Amino acid sequence: MVDVEKLKEIARETVSRDDVKYLIGWRQGTYGFRTAPHFVGTPEEADNLIFSPLCSHNLATYLTLVEKLPVPRGQDPDSRKVALLVKGCDSRAVVQQLIEQGIGRDSVFVIGCPCRGVVDLKKVEAKFPGMREKVSATWGNGTIIFNLPNGNVEVPRQEVLAGKCLTCRYPNPLLSDLNFGEEVAVWGSDDYADVKNLEAGSPQERWSFWEEKFASCMRCYSCRNVCPMCYCEDCVLDRLNPQWVMRSVNTAENTAFHLARAFHLAGRCIECGECERVCPVDIPIMKLNRKLSKEVREKYAFEPGLDPESKPLQASYRPDDKEDFIL
Amino acid sequence: MDIKKVRNEKFADFLAILGEQKLYAPQKVGESLRFAHVTDSSKVELAMANTTVPPKSIFFPQTETLYRYEMGNTEIQPPAVGEVGIVLGVRPCDARAQVIVDNLFSWDVDDPYYKERRDKATVVGLACNKPCVNCFCLSLGGDPASTEGMDLLMTELDDAYLLQPLTEKGEKLCQAAAAVAEPATAEDLAAAEGLHGQAREMITRKIETGGIPENLPALWENALWQETAASCLGCGICTYLCPTCHCFDIQDEVEGLEGRRCRMWDSCMFKEYTLHASGHNPRPTRRERTRNRINHKYSYFVDKFNVIACVGCGRCINHCPVNIDILEILAQVKEAL
Amino acid sequence: MKENGNPYQPHIATVEDAWYETQGDRCIKTFKVVFDDEKVRESWAHRPGQCAMIGILGVGESMISISCSPTEGRFLRFSVMRMGKVTQALHELEPGDKMTVRGPYGNSFPVDEWKGKKIITIGGGIGQAPLRPIIEYVKANRGDYAGLTLIYGSRTSGDLCFKSEFDTYNAANDVCCHLSIDVAEEGWPHYVGFVPSLLMEVNPSPENTIAITCGPPIMIRFVLENLKKLNFADEQIYTTLENRMKCGFGKCGRCNVGNLYVCKDGPVFSYATLKDIPEAFA
Repeated sequence: MVDVEKLKEIARETVSRDDVKYLIGWRQGTYGFRTAPHFVGTPEEADNLIFSPLCSHNLATYLTLVEKLPVPRGQDPDSRKVALLVKGCDSRAVVQQLIEQGIGRDSVFVIGCPCRGVVDLKKVEAKFPGMREKVSATWGNGTIIFNLPNGNVEVPRQEVLAGKCLTCRYPNPLLSDLNFGEEVAVWGSDDYADVKNLEAGSPQERWSFWEEKFASCMRCYSCRNVCPMCYCEDCVLDRLNPQWVMRSVNTAENTAFHLARAFHLAGRCIECGECERVCPVDIPIMKLNRKLSKEVREKYAFEPGLDPESKPLQASYRPDDKEDFIL
Repeated sequence: MDIKKVRNEKFADFLAILGEQKLYAPQKVGESLRFAHVTDSSKVELAMANTTVPPKSIFFPQTETLYRYEMGNTEIQPPAVGEVGIVLGVRPCDARAQVIVDNLFSWDVDDPYYKERRDKATVVGLACNKPCVNCFCLSLGGDPASTEGMDLLMTELDDAYLLQPLTEKGEKLCQAAAAVAEPATAEDLAAAEGLHGQAREMITRKIETGGIPENLPALWENALWQETAASCLGCGICTYLCPTCHCFDIQDEVEGLEGRRCRMWDSCMFKEYTLHASGHNPRPTRRERTRNRINHKYSYFVDKFNVIACVGCGRCINHCPVNIDILEILAQVKEAL
Repeated sequence: MKENGNPYQPHIATVEDAWYETQGDRCIKTFKVVFDDEKVRESWAHRPGQCAMIGILGVGESMISISCSPTEGRFLRFSVMRMGKVTQALHELEPGDKMTVRGPYGNSFPVDEWKGKKIITIGGGIGQAPLRPIIEYVKANRGDYAGLTLIYGSRTSGDLCFKSEFDTYNAANDVCCHLSIDVAEEGWPHYVGFVPSLLMEVNPSPENTIAITCGPPIMIRFVLENLKKLNFADEQIYTTLENRMKCGFGKCGRCNVGNLYVCKDGPVFSYATLKDIPEAFA
């Protein structure tokens, strides 16, 4: 069981520390099954924290998403840490950010939350449509229990868990300064069945699959912005001079956008699935990311975001690295 | 103007008649619903809550060529806007939104591209029998059966679609469909009334907007903007999916020797939106951008056009990846006033 | 009144003359351009303070203030600082090259309202470009105005725009000209220091006077402060704002400060209008 009171206590203690700016966790959303990132600046604000199967947001993105204003002359920059609640997958984002030196180890205080899988909101909202009242949820024994207005409903987790959770191999945080809750047993394994399935198609089939998906992209950039690994200050996709991707929204430019995005994540994507979760037009973005993950794993036996002491894929060379792709 | 109905079994024929003009209707594009040119009427999806992308994309396409030119040549050619025909299945909130956006594209100088499409189009609305959880059109002067901005309102009955012409264009359409339509009975009208009333009852989310437009700018330094923006990802979902958001960028694009100056949707939530070439940004963080978005909709637009630039369609709430909920923001605004 | 035609469609103009005002990374180049179409040449009517959207086909457009007064002749002048993609490409233009021009956009300095008054312009750096047309306009209609004082400064003497013109102003003795640079240079005969301090040095009386300031935001802030110290009323102070713009006629949405569009309601604003808009000097 998740002892949410314990979590609040930890949060209160954490935000009371002199070296912590604020804590980022989750809270109940404004309706239905929604939850939202919750910024806890004072001990009182910890009262609204939750941790449940509805907490899908990977909060690590806020470590790099923060927009810093110039420090006024004569003032010192605020060097206090950001405290962050992380699930297993989220922790890999923090680890990868550390590996890439996107953040400093001193800038973050990680509170690890072992996780038994979060829901795919689309599956849940399809199962219980039109839910206006706020609904909370808890983990049951192989189930998710939804506290609906007219009573609890227990659903086998296979039916509602996010795809990434069904194959999760890292439910326990790989990095933490403090742990909340007990370690959970690993249940998943990943044979990249979804990618293999796609690879089995002919080039023509694959192209028409993606062409249709990319054609629907609006280039709202939510996939990029939510990604904890997309933190370049000057993103290649925004550049005007030179302009690599045109602003025109059409299949060709959208394809360029999606491929550039995916390639920039090769060997870096920690598969939290946030890009796919936030896409308003439901483009299966993770299929692209996972194709590259699979290549990286098969060719270089490499997985990003596991060890903060390791080197990024592109910065590590082994004499036996495959080079058969070099013409 | 006589109210007609088309029985469900004749609806395909009705679509075929409409399809003699260029017909746009909700269809699945990729994995989501939006208005698209109908080439196969079996793909039209009217059994929907609403489209993900609003029908503004027909009148104000996401990307549009303003004019073409050949590199090395100074001759400029604006392209033909082309046929628009009928836009079918427009929800009342979206039809009303387009009327609101008309203000912007016609004040001071007419936008010729937008105006031509608006003038050409016949808007066939579809009353909402089942509003979504985040619909709040009633609070913004809308209604699940509002006819504002429509030429014809359809209501889905059990066995037929009721056709209520509202303008000459709508009447013409009804006449064109005479072969598949029949006069509506008093029972049909009563059934439609009943459905409209039921729909009104189903809308539970509300905001009392009184006092917001005139007082919102006074909350400039209020903490609510920072609190709201803290979790904002700065993506374009809320603005791109908003039926009243209308901001755009203009860019030159060249392929080989073919050049075009085009405009494309832009979003005030992007940092590049106000970024000066010098690197200075008058809205440096998401706090300022969020504040501008709400102020623009609920205050600045009202100052200029006397109407709030929000119709309560709920898309920004439904699709925000981090549950930023405009009704919660407005509730906080009301509290702070 | 509504205009006919397509407001997005620009006119083609030819660069007749071009010269560098300043050197360096963010150098300023002035272009004198003439419309290719004689009808446009005849019908084009801008007022001091207005802007135009100038551009290059294949590159893009940029909103630039028109830095000449209509009293100077049937041509346009633009002083462009090399900054982003479009201005970099504009800097490549030489006499004979083509650019696209549409406009004029925005309101203008209320020159009729100001008749009989003394005019002071307070400029910094490239901020002198929108001030130049008002100076030229008042010069051309000198009898209508009680006085013309120009205060202008920049970082170094090499960063001053329109330098050669200042000598002619003084010689004609119809303009009172005060120049400054931030740091002392050998042979510099004028003031050394920041523009706001020079303003206090000049110490103009607010009586029957209009002060117009344009320059970097930080300079404007201190100039406004000092004008208030000199007892200028809000209504006597004018400035021009700039923001990123795309259309120029109140459609594209981005140039707003509060409920005002810089492209329509501006770029010229009185301080009385701006002082209550918190975003105005952001």
